[in-house]
Amino acid sequence: MEETKTENEDITTATADVISADEREDLAVNKTADVMVTTVKADTTSSNQRSYLRYLALPWIFVTVALLGGLRLSAVDTSFVFLTPALLCLIFAAILLGLFFRAGLIQLDGWFADDFPILKNVANGAVLITLFAASAQLFNSLLPEQGLPFWVVGFCFFWTLWNNLFADFDTKKLLRSLGALFGLAFVVKYLVLANLTAPASESWLRGIFENPTKEAFTWALDLPRFSAGTGYIQFFAIAFYLLGLFLLPTSTRDESVRPRGR
Amino acid sequence: MKEKYIQILGLLATSLYGAFVIFLYAAEPRSLEEISTKAKSTLENAVTKGQVMTGTYEIDQAKFNDGLQAFRQDNFIASRDSFERADPEKRDPKTHFYIAYTFYRQGWGRVSNDDELFKQGLESLQRVTMLDPNFRTDDPDLQLRTPAELRNELEEGMKITADDFNPLRLVRERK
Repeated sequence: MEETKTENEDITTATADVISADEREDLAVNKTADVMVTTVKADTTSSNQRSYLRYLALPWIFVTVALLGGLRLSAVDTSFVFLTPALLCLIFAAILLGLFFRAGLIQLDGWFADDFPILKNVANGAVLITLFAASAQLFNSLLPEQGLPFWVVGFCFFWTLWNNLFADFDTKKLLRSLGALFGLAFVVKYLVLANLTAPASESWLRGIFENPTKEAFTWALDLPRFSAGTGYIQFFAIAFYLLGLFLLPTSTRDESVRPRGR
Repeated sequence: MKEKYIQILGLLATSLYGAFVIFLYAAEPRSLEEISTKAKSTLENAVTKGQVMTGTYEIDQAKFNDGLQAFRQDNFIASRDSFERADPEKRDPKTHFYIAYTFYRQGWGRVSNDDELFKQGLESLQRVTMLDPNFRTDDPDLQLRTPAELRNELEEGMKITADDFNPLRLVRERK
């Protein structure tokens, strides 16, 4: 043990002899500079990634939801049917955005501020506009198109959103609540109601003989006939929307940016 | 890349993608193949609207001539179609006077007139008066030279009067 210590001391002494005091200082300065450059580079890369996410990926996700939300496939020939959102969808989207602000999912002063450059305020505004469009189209996707189911599901949405507006939420709970709300609405529309809808048949009389119950439900509830592919499209629309919400930062001030749900 | 360039890129990309989505919902193509057709017609409409806004709009003279040729051959349905395609923005009084005239000539009958066509003729004439209150045609083949004369002929043709039972009406000529 004593021998090893002596050897180490010798090595240190030898190193100290090989590198002079001045050179050691230079080496230390260079090393510190290297570490600082590496840290700055890492910060720049991280900041760039945040900007790409915020100004390219998020708008792309939300505009895609806006595209898919009103898209249906016709039951007859699976051709595209583009449905523009009802006024009620815009109202729900406005309430939902209000809910985001109230629950702190989006901090208004973190997205728009006097000390931000104009370009940043405009770019942030564009992201929030795409979020509004996606929200409106999501309700367009989840609300039944017409008849009694439209008003019943619409009322349920309104009831839930209105209650949530006055509840104390943190962002995590709000996201869970919205996930559950949208999931349930999806099940009601694309599993329950879609299975009550009679398939498109060649004649009215033949339809009644082949699917009397479904024809009765379709007639009574005024259910539109869409191809089964519609449900798949809307599933991805909802998944994209929730992913977008998860990735949406509460603020665009870099020091306060933190991933959703943590 | 600097943040401001990413923001500019993001704004441009979002605007383009957003415009594409708005186009899809406005044009409502029924298949992927139809998207290009709809895009072409939307572009043509946008160009025409742009011409109207900049005051450089002109009717399609070739289609107008086709319409005139069909009009002189008493092929009024084809004639109207050509006239309507020659002036998609409905801004030329001359074209609309001819359209109204096609309704008159097609609806005119020696014994009785077609009231439905005469009504449509009157609607077209309203547009002529709105576009140019002092319009007067320079076509020597047309006996009714002004919207007022044509309107009077159309309105009289729709009324039932004692004069309608005059047997001499059978020898009258179309104007």
